[in-house]
Amino acid sequence: MGQKIELACIIDDDKIYVNLVKKIIEIKHLSENLLIFKNGLEALEYFKVILTNMTEDKLPDIIFLDLNMPVMDGWEFLGEFIKIKNNFDKKITLYVVSSSIDPRDLERAKSFNLVTDYLIKPIELKKFEQIFDRDNKVA
Amino acid sequence: MLNDLQLNGILEDFDIAYWKIDLLTKEISWSEHFEALVGKPSEGVSHFDFFMNNILHRDYKYDFLVGFENLIAGSQNFNQEIKLKLNEKVRWFECRNLKSKENSTKETAVLLFVNIHQSKRDQYTIEENFFYYRETAEMTSTGGWYIDTLAPAIYWDDVTKKILDCPKDFHLVYDDRFRFYAKEHQGIALSMFEKCEKYGIPFKIELKMVTLYGREFWVRATGKPVYNDEQQITGIRGVFQDIDDNKSNEINLQNSLDIIAAQNSRLFNFAHVVSHNLRSHSSNLSLVVQLVTESKQANEKLDLIDNIVSISENLDNAISQLNSMVTHQTLLTKERRTVVFADALDVVIASVSSLVNRESANIISDFKNLKEIKYIPEYLESILLNLITNAIRYKQPGRKPVIFIQSYLVNDQPYLEVSDNGMGIDLDQYGDKMFGMYKTFHRNPDAKGIGLFITRNQVETMGGSISVTSTVNIGTTFKIKF
Repeated sequence: MGQKIELACIIDDDKIYVNLVKKIIEIKHLSENLLIFKNGLEALEYFKVILTNMTEDKLPDIIFLDLNMPVMDGWEFLGEFIKIKNNFDKKITLYVVSSSIDPRDLERAKSFNLVTDYLIKPIELKKFEQIFDRDNKVA
Repeated sequence: MLNDLQLNGILEDFDIAYWKIDLLTKEISWSEHFEALVGKPSEGVSHFDFFMNNILHRDYKYDFLVGFENLIAGSQNFNQEIKLKLNEKVRWFECRNLKSKENSTKETAVLLFVNIHQSKRDQYTIEENFFYYRETAEMTSTGGWYIDTLAPAIYWDDVTKKILDCPKDFHLVYDDRFRFYAKEHQGIALSMFEKCEKYGIPFKIELKMVTLYGREFWVRATGKPVYNDEQQITGIRGVFQDIDDNKSNEINLQNSLDIIAAQNSRLFNFAHVVSHNLRSHSSNLSLVVQLVTESKQANEKLDLIDNIVSISENLDNAISQLNSMVTHQTLLTKERRTVVFADALDVVIASVSSLVNRESANIISDFKNLKEIKYIPEYLESILLNLITNAIRYKQPGRKPVIFIQSYLVNDQPYLEVSDNGMGIDLDQYGDKMFGMYKTFHRNPDAKGIGLFITRNQVETMGGSISVTSTVNIGTTFKIKF
């Protein structure tokens, strides 16, 4: 096990899924801390606050973004996040995580440069460990 | 009277073949030209027999013989059109006698053979072409017309009159000509005729015309200018083709295409929803199972069991929601019935009375301009239900919801409008997503993002459309075109 992720972020409206991932992260000690947002807008507001306060230590190392969410969905979040992302010095890895197997969604997600990969739910525990293991990652 | 020599000279100059018949001896002599055409009879065969048996087409033998006998009897002139076989080819000739002057002696008769094959063929070609033209015109319902722009006057052929339901003796008054064009196309018709008359610009256009009895139908009209020798435009010539069948087929085809495209996109959405909804729960289940296997302690495992309970509840909800969507789709097989708007609204209000009372919503309706409509009652109720609950759910905080529902006709087209005084929505931002699946725009915990999707599906499956106008903090109006 390599260096631990400091802060991971989940943007997802599915409470059960979020609880389960939380549990996985706890059991496997994958990340020190965890940020959870119910939809894109809540997450976006958080990032905007960081931007104005210049408190980059509160930026996550990794984001898991769901697509289908109320108020602001994953696509809209990506559209907004792209505009502010370059203001952060920290490297943020972003995964789109959805139960949609619609190939149009897959294509669209991959068209965003800031999306590292499109993960289809359910994610296997091993995959989680892989993603969180920094040493194992291809930079 | 010309003498023989002069006559021969003239006849030969004009390349005319002839017979000279001695009326007393009945002897026949052929001109050089005639002999060159048909050849010489063999030894011992008379000119006449050779001609009758070898040269003259058999269909004409009888008439020729009778005519010839009358001629040499001196009683009648000879004038027939006959076919001759020349070198195995059949050629048309006009055959007539040279009329003798009153006082001339009737010793000889001259029978002229003039080759009329080319003109005969031309005549046939013309007749044939005319036949084809007429048959084609009839078959394709294509009528010809001519406008004398100087007179001015209009001439229609029989087919034009027929496709415009006019009797054959109908006479069109020039100033009346635009009554035969559908109102919405009179402007186009006027401008294209004007352009053709003034500048010689030809036209080819599809437009709606109106028959004498007021039946509208589609025609393809083509017109070209007619010039005189001074290159001035003196008229317009053209055709009208009745393309009503084609056009209505085209329109039907386009409609079917639109319906199929809409249904296809609905199916895509549905497949997406099914996949997403069911998968999200099954993937949670699989996560739980993985965790249960991984966890070492009994109480951890027990905690996870709680999750299974909620997941199964959610899965059950998702399935019943999908089920209700499928039910909505299959309702289509139900027949349209006359639905009274006021009755449908009563049913809906009764079913949401608790919500209406809790929010003190004021629902005002005005159905006086259109009291009823042929529709599937369940659809109309579901549409009203969705729009009303939507209006109440997204009320402006602190303002009692007012919902105004109105039905009306515009150009025989029925409409239904549902307006509210709610929080409104920024259409620039969300307009195109408004009716999509799982789109919720307000931070409202009740929002499921499925109501408007279903409403639009219902309206569209019935062949209508739904549109929305909205102002943030003022209210929203949904307009349904049935």
